[in-house]
Amino acid sequence: MILVVNIIDVGLGNINSIEHWTRDCHLFPRRVTNIDQFTNGPIIIPGVASAGEYMERLKSLALDKEIIKRCQSGQKIIGICLGFQILSNYSEEDSGTNCLGLLNGVTRYIEDKKTHNGWEDIKIDTRRVKHNVSFPKKRVKKIDGRVFFNHELMIELEDDVYTHILSNGITSYAFKNNIFGMQFHPEKSQQTGQDLLKLII
Amino acid sequence: MSFRIGATVLLDINGRALQSYNFNTKRILGCVKNVLSFLDDYEVDEIHLIIPLKGKGVDTSKVLTELKDVSISTPLSVGGGLNVKNIAEITNDPYFERLVFNSLIFDDNEVIKQVSLKMGRQAILAYMPFILHKNTLKIYHSKRNKFINVSDEFWRNLNSLCNEVILLDADAEGTRKGFNFKVFKFLKFPIDRV
Repeated sequence: MILVVNIIDVGLGNINSIEHWTRDCHLFPRRVTNIDQFTNGPIIIPGVASAGEYMERLKSLALDKEIIKRCQSGQKIIGICLGFQILSNYSEEDSGTNCLGLLNGVTRYIEDKKTHNGWEDIKIDTRRVKHNVSFPKKRVKKIDGRVFFNHELMIELEDDVYTHILSNGITSYAFKNNIFGMQFHPEKSQQTGQDLLKLII
Repeated sequence: MSFRIGATVLLDINGRALQSYNFNTKRILGCVKNVLSFLDDYEVDEIHLIIPLKGKGVDTSKVLTELKDVSISTPLSVGGGLNVKNIAEITNDPYFERLVFNSLIFDDNEVIKQVSLKMGRQAILAYMPFILHKNTLKIYHSKRNKFINVSDEFWRNLNSLCNEVILLDADAEGTRKGFNFKVFKFLKFPIDRV
């Protein structure tokens, strides 16, 4: 059986790259542009956009409430870069933007408005995760590789989640129940990105 | 954070990859999709696709949209000859993470600001081929097709609009001279964003 993944499409974000990434992992990508198009598969919120514009479009299509509802009912949510940041309560981007509030915390500019671009190491072993994270039962249980970051804002979480903070204070990822937020771009992280998708879906 | 190994791929108007020597001689390498696929397999850290625009009738958006079905998992930036019309087209459903600008940094900040609103400032990359002669830095202006002196306003624009800068030593390109690191003395841009 091929699993269908819902990719939120509000006319922003590198959706093409996300589609390639999911196909490479033998999943079937489906673009969601309105609330009637959702399936029960995982929902991916892509990155490469700005928070204000993105939230505005989500709201105008009523996708914001639908994503929250589906998340609360246990559907898997994967937020990538901006898609991760808008899972928080609020973002400083675009003079301040109220976000989805699925993770307790705020998104701020990196100190001194610096930028964080490049590759960082990632190690996840699902057998060692003590938090409640809904990893599927699979033979592959860990990844060890590198992932690509390209962002100017960072999320600061108050929730007790399974997370990894980089040496520069940036939250690399945060997993909580059925929510998988990643500041990096797994769709552009070569083999590690594919391994990661297979690990969480 | 460490150095990244980036590959800059030049494209001609037929979508073929070019090899450039000394910023004036170009040799056709072949199908760009094969070049991208090879670089992806090689796992370079990032790829920049640039159309070095010269002459009339060059349709950047046509060349770039034809690459939409390229399936690579390496970070990709595209640029060259971008204007209001083709930016709207290619950013509508992008297969890349960043856009590369050159002449618009000198000329038309509004376009870059619009892109920044749509894609975020982290998606704005500046492409700066340079020459350093007699202690004077000159930056290539692609629309005028020449190296020009840069003003304080240029540096201000660069700092406020662009997330990162790709520096290309035009004198050393395609040669064994080596990159001229003296350029860093002349930059008015944070070194960690170069």
